[in-house]
Amino acid sequence: MALLTRHPWFAASILLVPLLTLAAPGWPRLAGVGPCWAILWLLPWALAEGRLSGVVAGAALGLLLDALHPGGASQMPGLMLLGWWWGRMGRLGAPVERSFSLGLLALLGTLLLDLTLMLQWALRSGLAGGSRLAIDGIDPAPLAQSGWHLHDLAGAGLHVLLARTLLTALLAPVLCSLQMLLWRQQGAGTVRR
Amino acid sequence: MPARRWLRSLALRPLLQAWPWLLVVLALVGVRLSKGAGLADAYALLSRPFWPGTAQAEWLRSARRFEDTARIGALEAENARLRGLIGLQQASPKRLTAPVISREPAGWWQTLLLGRGSLQGVAEGQAVLAPGGLIGVVSGVTPSTARVTLLTDPASRVGVWVGRTRHHGLLTGLGTPRPVLRFLEKDPGVLPGDVVTTSPASTLVPPDLPVGVIQSVDAGADPAPEALVQLAAPVGSVDWVQLLAR
Repeated sequence: MALLTRHPWFAASILLVPLLTLAAPGWPRLAGVGPCWAILWLLPWALAEGRLSGVVAGAALGLLLDALHPGGASQMPGLMLLGWWWGRMGRLGAPVERSFSLGLLALLGTLLLDLTLMLQWALRSGLAGGSRLAIDGIDPAPLAQSGWHLHDLAGAGLHVLLARTLLTALLAPVLCSLQMLLWRQQGAGTVRR
Repeated sequence: MPARRWLRSLALRPLLQAWPWLLVVLALVGVRLSKGAGLADAYALLSRPFWPGTAQAEWLRSARRFEDTARIGALEAENARLRGLIGLQQASPKRLTAPVISREPAGWWQTLLLGRGSLQGVAEGQAVLAPGGLIGVVSGVTPSTARVTLLTDPASRVGVWVGRTRHHGLLTGLGTPRPVLRFLEKDPGVLPGDVVTTSPASTLVPPDLPVGVIQSVDAGADPAPEALVQLAAPVGSVDWVQLLAR
């Protein structure tokens, strides 16, 4: 928590994530889908700050992003899990600096985060009973069930998942290494003891 | 000899002298027999510079436009009166223009953020129109912004119908650029190219707003026949939208 106490304005950079999500710049897009900005901020933060700070930052990010998106699925569990995992990794292991490892971590992180989202929608769709043929005529109730359905998740959902994962993994080495450099310099000596 | 002279002096002299008048009479007889052909043609030739020109066509067109506008007004008033009589929802003419300040047309959520909020009178559930037709419904409001769930979002469900066959259906977002129209009847009988509008019986969105055009039909789909709909409005590139007051 060194950065948070010594340089609170670095923690304020968390606000960049919802702002970038809203601005949705046009250039970093793969098949129309933008990257996962939360992962690109959480990865260097958790690696530089440790487990507890990672979990708290994940929860904060989850609250911010869930406020922006309507619907039942929440990004909080996935982001908290990732914050804990990456914070543990930054504290225990050798310093993660190579761009390949950063890219790989971002790839796995986005995959995990999007899978938690898909799992929530799939569970909701499954609990609603899915869509089936009524005996006489068509039962409109399952058709009116809103949100991602199982067969949509397997089609368009897979497309979104792949595009987001690949794009985030491609951007991570560039953006995350810069952030880590800055934060490690500022919190020098207190990052890993 | 004296007889020839007498004849010439008596009968032929005036005839020979009046030959131009005879020609005129012959011409008039010709005109009469041809039912005025030469006369009408000559009149047409002479009056050609004074024929009604483009200016007159413009006057007629503006008169037609005036007539159409007045008739549409009268029909709308009558429509509203009839809808009021049978207790259907009124199509409100009040519109609010709003800028699009954030756009997320692909991904897990397909939404727009508009720069008008509850302070300007935007409320949840209002229909959002772009040039071309309906693009979504307001799903969340803050004091100065409104979030629009696009028709392509998987959370979007809008009651529509195909005007030609009068079959109702549910327009369902799939997360792809084209939503799917699931019919509530076994045999909808629609064809590619049919125009889809919001249902006249709808209580969620105003009636009879254009939505899109059917692109392909899958009559054997389970659990209901379905059709892919190409939206009429270019969702990815709208900068200003109109909000319909409910």
